[in-house]
Amino acid sequence: MALNSLTYLGFLLVVVIAYWLLPVVLRRSLVMAASLAFYSSWNAIFLWVPLIVAGVVFVCGKYIQANPSAPRKWLLTGIGILLTLFVLFKYRLFVATNLGYFGVPLSRGPFSLASSLVFPMGISFYTLEAIAYLVDVRQVRVRIPSFVDLCLFFFFWPNILSGPIVRARELMPQLRFEKIFEPRFIFEGCDRIVWGLVQKNVIANMLGIWVDRGFASQPVGTFSTVDGWFLAIAFGLQVYFDFAGYTNLAIGTARLIGIMLPENFRHPYHAASPADFWSRWHITLSRWIRDYLFFPMNAKWKGAPLPLYLSLVGAMALVGLWHGAEWGFLLWGTMHGVYLAVYRLYESWRRGDSPAKGSHLSAGLWRVVTLVAVTTAWVPFRALSLAQAGSILGSMFSRFTWRLEYSGLFYGITVAVALFAAVEPLVMRALAEVDEEAAAAGLSMFRIIVRPVAYLFGLMLFLLFDQNYSQFIYSQF
Amino acid sequence: MLPDPETIRSAARAAASELTGRSIKDSQKLVSSGLLDSLAVLKLISLLEKKLNIVIRPETLQPEDFDDVALIVETIERVGKARK
Repeated sequence: MALNSLTYLGFLLVVVIAYWLLPVVLRRSLVMAASLAFYSSWNAIFLWVPLIVAGVVFVCGKYIQANPSAPRKWLLTGIGILLTLFVLFKYRLFVATNLGYFGVPLSRGPFSLASSLVFPMGISFYTLEAIAYLVDVRQVRVRIPSFVDLCLFFFFWPNILSGPIVRARELMPQLRFEKIFEPRFIFEGCDRIVWGLVQKNVIANMLGIWVDRGFASQPVGTFSTVDGWFLAIAFGLQVYFDFAGYTNLAIGTARLIGIMLPENFRHPYHAASPADFWSRWHITLSRWIRDYLFFPMNAKWKGAPLPLYLSLVGAMALVGLWHGAEWGFLLWGTMHGVYLAVYRLYESWRRGDSPAKGSHLSAGLWRVVTLVAVTTAWVPFRALSLAQAGSILGSMFSRFTWRLEYSGLFYGITVAVALFAAVEPLVMRALAEVDEEAAAAGLSMFRIIVRPVAYLFGLMLFLLFDQNYSQFIYSQF
Repeated sequence: MLPDPETIRSAARAAASELTGRSIKDSQKLVSSGLLDSLAVLKLISLLEKKLNIVIRPETLQPEDFDDVALIVETIERVGKARK
């Protein structure tokens, strides 16, 4: 049941109506049942995986909680089990295939291609949540609740598939479902859902058709410079609107029942530097990496330069691999690690000043460099092979040819979506201001007429563009 | 012995101002607002150690433990130790 399907919208309508009609004591059971039904609709055979994850957190968390100052045995055991499960599902074929290059025959039997293609949906996301949960228990930030409550946390359907990656301390207190109904929950939820559907089905899917054709159609070595750049830009826009669309659907779904999930995007292509990009792109993953990997590692060395630069590249390479067992993802993450290390070197050369504090020229230059660097890194992320990635990057930076291989529509759509991404913050700010004024004036014309008309228009667009091409890019991770 | 809370508070204000280049009010969010990133928090810890002559072991901390002046005071009182 994809979030951008009519089946899901029907499911959501029934659950939300039932939720607000039920007394508080029964809401928890309804949300649990809805979450299990939703996850089962994807792959019921893997229902046991989040259950095992919850079990590991429950058992190890209880031991850690009983004696938080004891050695880290239970923390390490818990993290070890969680990572083993994660690696077994996501990386077994990658490991086996690459060991195969060295003559180790592991790519048969349990390492077959078919078994590697199926894995529990959302495992990359709830594994990170589980590790964070254990660390937070160890740091006495949260307590282990009942097993049922823990299951509810991991199975909570709005964010189980692809995040946002939530921390126990921000979601657990809300899972008491005690809020009294307010119309704004419905308005805010519908705003996010309708916009998410348009982002995914209209913008991302439209670009996706061209991007898929572009990456699939040309043999290695034949991309022109213009096509290379347009494909990289189009994919950068596609992946943004696809993932931001998914996130809006997840946040909007939770909002309909009064739950707040953290934001995941803040206009990432407006970033002023590589570091700023990671405070705007997949924010909840960046936050996880910062809190549970990067900060503890560097705290040990008090931010000394060599460990700092090595940990930046290492942590980002892991972020790349987290997306999947592909060399392209690893290269994408490593490139971002190098960007961050170069930026930090520049900052230390300027004695800690960010480029924004420098001249307009240097600030502007960093914006352009960041955009170009981020766009370049999308090539290995999307390419079908490292050879294809190398070929496209070669056409973009060294083998200059100016042929146009695709229909004019592709170039036109890419430019139009890029222009929209450029003005998106202004549009969003203007809409928020109108909404605030409407809220201050009570039930004004905006709420009574404009909003429902906008919803209708958005849903019509969603239905018009409701093609078979509906899988979210990040649901594969 | 750790310095008293008021001394920690003014050291926190001064260190945060030094790193952000602006005067910091007690209620100002430092990390969640993006004023300080994780590296700046590490620098903040070093500055506080120098100013207060204490040792902070940050391995069990998270950047958001330094999100505002009150939290900094609370964190230092929890994990800070006077330098011998």
